[in-house]
Formats: sequence, C-alpha cells, structure tokens
Amino acid sequence: MSIAVEAHRPGAGAWLSLIQCEAKMVARDTAGLVVPIGLPLLILVMSASAATDEVVANGRTALDVFVLPLVLTLVISTIGIINMPSFLAYYRRAGILRRLSVTPASPAMVLVAQVVVSVIQAVIGITAALAVAVLIFDANPPVQPGAALGIFVLAMAAMYALGMVVAAVAPTPNSAVAIGLIVFFALAALGGLFGGRAALPEPVAAVGEWLPFGATVQALSAVWAGFAVEPVHLISLGVTTVLGFTVAAVLFRWD
Amino acid sequence: MNSPDPAIRIENLRKRYGDKVAVDDVSLHIDSGEVLGVLGTNGAGKTTMVEMIAGLRKPDRGRVSIFGLDPQQDRAEVRQILGVQLQQAYLHDALTVTELITLYRSFYPDPRPESELLQLVGLGEQGKVRFGRLSGGQQQRLSIALALAGGPRIVILDELTTGLDPRARRQMWKAIEGLRDDGVTILLVSHVMEEVERLCDRVALIDSGRIIALDSSSGLVSRAGAENLDDAFVTLTGNELEDPE
Repeated sequence: MSIAVEAHRPGAGAWLSLIQCEAKMVARDTAGLVVPIGLPLLILVMSASAATDEVVANGRTALDVFVLPLVLTLVISTIGIINMPSFLAYYRRAGILRRLSVTPASPAMVLVAQVVVSVIQAVIGITAALAVAVLIFDANPPVQPGAALGIFVLAMAAMYALGMVVAAVAPTPNSAVAIGLIVFFALAALGGLFGGRAALPEPVAAVGEWLPFGATVQALSAVWAGFAVEPVHLISLGVTTVLGFTVAAVLFRWD
Repeated sequence: MNSPDPAIRIENLRKRYGDKVAVDDVSLHIDSGEVLGVLGTNGAGKTTMVEMIAGLRKPDRGRVSIFGLDPQQDRAEVRQILGVQLQQAYLHDALTVTELITLYRSFYPDPRPESELLQLVGLGEQGKVRFGRLSGGQQQRLSIALALAGGPRIVILDELTTGLDPRARRQMWKAIEGLRDDGVTILLVSHVMEEVERLCDRVALIDSGRIIALDSSSGLVSRAGAENLDDAFVTLTGNELEDPE
C-alpha cells in the first residue's frame, strides 16, 4: 500500500516567484537589453529625421507608415528570436531544466515564465519606441488601434514560436545566439530592414513579405495608414505560430 | 498488505546505453528512516541508478517504488516527498542565494523556513550573493539546501561533500545527522569512506552496474577480513576507489 500524498501542483505563488526570477535574469543581463531596446530606438532616431512630413494617407506620414512598423517589428523579433532562446539554451546546458524537473515544478513552467517576461519586455520596448516617436518626432497613432494591437499579439506569437524552434534545436547557448542571429537577419533582410523592400529584387521581396518579419511590417504599416490588412500577412503569422510551436514541442530537449 | 512500504524499493532494475549495461538487475530496499550509502568507482552505475530512482530516467526493465508510488507515473506525489541533490546541477547564475531559496520554497505546500535552510548549510552570510559569484563549495551547499527546501521525507544526495573543505564537510555531516534524527530517509552516493562510515546504516557496494555487497560498514569490513572500509572495498570489488576531485 502506498502512503497518501496529496498531489499538490505549484500554485499562483510558484508562478509569480518564477516569473519574478526570470524577469530578474533578463534585467540583469544588461548586454541582452541593448539589442531589443537600444537598436530599434537608434534606427528610429536615425530614420525619423530623414522621413519626410509628407502625408501618405489619412493624415499619417512616412514616419508613421514606413519607419514605425519596422522599428516595432524589430523590438518583437529580436526579443523572440535572439534573446529568449539564448536563455532557454543556457538553462538546458547548465542543467537548470533538469534540476527543476526533480521538484514539483515542471521545467515547462520556465518556458512559460520566459515567454511572459519576453512579452513584458516587448511591451516596454514598444512603449519606449512609441513614446520617443510621438514626443520627439510628432508621430501619429495608428488609424486602426485595435487592429494594431491584434497584430502585435499575433506577431509576438509568431516570433516567440520561431524562438522556441531555435531553443529546441540549438545544442549550446552559443549556437542558440548564432542560430537566432542568422534567422533574425535572414528574415529582417528579406523583410526590408536594410534599405527597404524596393531595393530587393521583386521575387525576393515577395518571399520576404510572406515570412513573419516582412508580414508584420506590412500588416502594421496597413493598420497605421488605415488600409485593410492583406490576408497573406495574417496567414503567414498564423502558420508560423502553429508550425513553430508544433516543431518546438516535438524537438525540444530538456537535458 | 499490513506491512508499510519501504521508503525506496527497487526491483530488478536495468538500464543500458547502446551495448553498455549501466545498471544490471539491481534490487534493493531502503527502510523508512534509514541512511543507505552507495559506494562505487566512477562509471559503476551509481548516477544512472540514482537518476532512475529520482524519475529522471526510465528504466529498461524493473521498477522503482517510493513509498509505493511510481516516480514516473505518480510524478506530482513523488516530487512532494523526495528531495534530490544532483551532481553538477547549476542554478540561475544571476539570482542570489535568497532569491533561489525563495523560488524553490514556492514549489512546495509546506516548505522549511528560509532562515533554517540557510543556517543548516552555513550560508547565512551569503544571502545577497549571486549564485555565479559563490565558490564551488558554497554552490554545492546551496544545492543541498534546495534539496531540503520542501521538507522531504526522502533525500537523495549525489556526491554530498565533493568539493567541500573539511570544515564545510563536517557541517554537512552534522546537517545529515539532524535529518536522520528527524526520521528522514537518506540515499547517499559518496566517494568518502569516513562519511559513509559515520552516516550510513548500511552500505551498498556497486561495481559494473551490480550490487556486489550490501551490509553495515562494519559488516563489510569483517566480511572482507579487512582493516577498514577502504580495504574492504578493494577486496570486495577488486577496484581502487579513486578520488573524484
């Protein structure tokens, strides 16, 4: 006969404690904050003065319709594809996931806590970029704020799903950063980070627009200007989310 | 079904990696409140055995029972009553000693008080130090404190005092004796003969994945016709017990 033990699952206190710990890990990794918070601000400042005041549509300027979507996509994608997987790969390499798996907490809780902290980090990055854009460069809010919010959520889901794939396949923390950077730069280059989509050959630009970085930029651009979002961009983000999390769930190694 | 289950019972446990058999048909039981030592050379299969008992690895054959519970199937229940200190497990390196203890305590319904845990392993002064800045011995002691955070009824300690200086080593032994007096069941994997002789009720000698002998340390010594446990180990297994450090 076995003894009676109540199967107590870690409750709200454990979740809160874990999220606080992950937040401290992220906040204390000062170098890791430079890219997702600093780089978008730098690009914003450098592009804002060059962007003309000319109205593109519905009272929105080139800054609103072309620069801001790119800057905000940068925040979300660098956190999701580069930063988050590097933490998870380090946790696995160091045996932290293994250590947690012999406690009532599941190592999967760490993944969820990292995603929560990454979302908070993205909100801070987006808010900072928007504040600078509005207060210093007279940027305007999106014509469809609700739709913009929806696209932020969908884009985060897609980028974090890609990040989970990177964390799942990277054997070491170093390779996680390397793979994350390559995936990020490939998507960003095809999505128009360097010199805009007009500079790319037409077929390459078309492919870049189907990929999550380009799709997010295009979708945000549409809602900022007040145009309808093209379905292909939403489908791209949706498919990336589902495919990414599925592949990560199959491939993820805990030790 | 009147007799209570032993704290740990393993039956015909077997695990192989490729063509190397790591644990070969091991059966063993540890009574509630008993301290059992596991001695063996590196590669003898100790850690694989411990990992199967802790539910980290699935055995190829045989079964493990923790107070009648299966560590794989009754994971949630077993995690409540079993504390594990793993060999070479690192922790979040940017978190402080206090933050890590708070985190691990939050996983359990009735954890041991933070100050008690810190005092037990002698880290009272290091509360605000980040894990990455602790010495190897201090990291090891924190790892032991976290294994005890939930107030477990069974504790598995893999290489308890490896890397500790003599003073810290004696402090850990005192802590283990305190647990033993509280009736906690302890499985102690060790290389240190003095530690095993002092703390363990019985000792299992493991070699090539099998239990060679299982007795009290004095029983092993007299069975081998040896002077001490060190010599008994050499006589019974045919191997020198190397120092892991």
